[in-house]
Amino acid sequence: MKISCIIVEDIQIAADFLRKFCEKSDLVEVKGHFLNVADALEFLDRERVDLLFLDVEMPGATGFDLLDSLTYSPKIILTTSKTEYAFDAFQYHVNDYLKKPFTYKRFLEAIEKLQQTQNAEPAAAPAPAPALQQPTSVVTGTDFLFIKSEDKLVKLKKDDILFLESMRDYVKFVTPAKSYITYSTLKNMEEKLIGPIFLKVHRSYIVNINKIDDIRGNTIYLLGNQIPIGKGHKDEVAARLNIL
Amino acid sequence: MQKIRTTFVFDESLNSTFLGELFEGDTIYAETVFEDFLKDLPIYWQRVETAYTNKNLPALGTAVHTCKTLFGYVGFTDLQELCQQFENKCSVNTAEELRVEYILLIQRKERAQHIIEKEYDRLRLFNEGT
Repeated sequence: MKISCIIVEDIQIAADFLRKFCEKSDLVEVKGHFLNVADALEFLDRERVDLLFLDVEMPGATGFDLLDSLTYSPKIILTTSKTEYAFDAFQYHVNDYLKKPFTYKRFLEAIEKLQQTQNAEPAAAPAPAPALQQPTSVVTGTDFLFIKSEDKLVKLKKDDILFLESMRDYVKFVTPAKSYITYSTLKNMEEKLIGPIFLKVHRSYIVNINKIDDIRGNTIYLLGNQIPIGKGHKDEVAARLNIL
Repeated sequence: MQKIRTTFVFDESLNSTFLGELFEGDTIYAETVFEDFLKDLPIYWQRVETAYTNKNLPALGTAVHTCKTLFGYVGFTDLQELCQQFENKCSVNTAEELRVEYILLIQRKERAQHIIEKEYDRLRLFNEGT
């Protein structure tokens, strides 16, 4: 079966080369090409793919912004003409890094490496980056916590957190000003954040109940964000929020 | 001068070894890429000029970064390095401080464009004859 992919690239020549290489290999099927992050995200909201060929510097938002917004974890091959992003690529567990312009030979190496990783995955999941080891990724205090994000420990006041979102092996902390991603699981966060203001409302979301604006149907609205209420969490949500 | 397969020989100012690996002898595709380059470069270069005129250094760095990538696809690896140096300086220098290097970059870009125009014509003629 072919690997499904999309190309997120603002330079048409670069995207054309990639498409040509994919077709030539007969290993990768291109589902679409997007010139910017917003269009790619719109597509990815509707359809899942196995692999993203992702440029970093694009108008409006970077490839890393796209990775921050993804709700699942496809394979990622960064395509950029800068080598300075190697550290970020490592942090984001990017599968490969192609420096533009690259040859078909180099492209094929990346795809073959990806296939080998996929075959090996059931036996052993990829190890997290040492700097992001789970036990040290979050340190909690009474009314604040430190999370390891972007190679530093960021202090977050619990009151400032709007919600937490599970991103498979990562958790996104969303505050009104910024989002932070740390290597951890939502279950781990649930244990650390136990207390009166946080409530798990969905298998992928924990919300700060003080920040909820309103609830419509099975959706919680807080500061412009919409969070679904999971079927199995409805009763607890109703009880904790004093829904009459 | 080096050869791509045993037929088309690129201009010596281009990195013909790299172009040989990139196109793998597909001169029809090389013609397409060179044509696209000539079509796209003025559009991207306009962003460079606008950013420099407005003294918007972050935008200038980004615009030069895009042109740098484009130059790579037609074999101007040396010009890519020059663009990279200029791009790096955009984060630490002012537009005035970069004036001399900016003029040099314009000259190199115009020379590159001229070479690719000639190479595109040669590729077209070559492909018509095959």
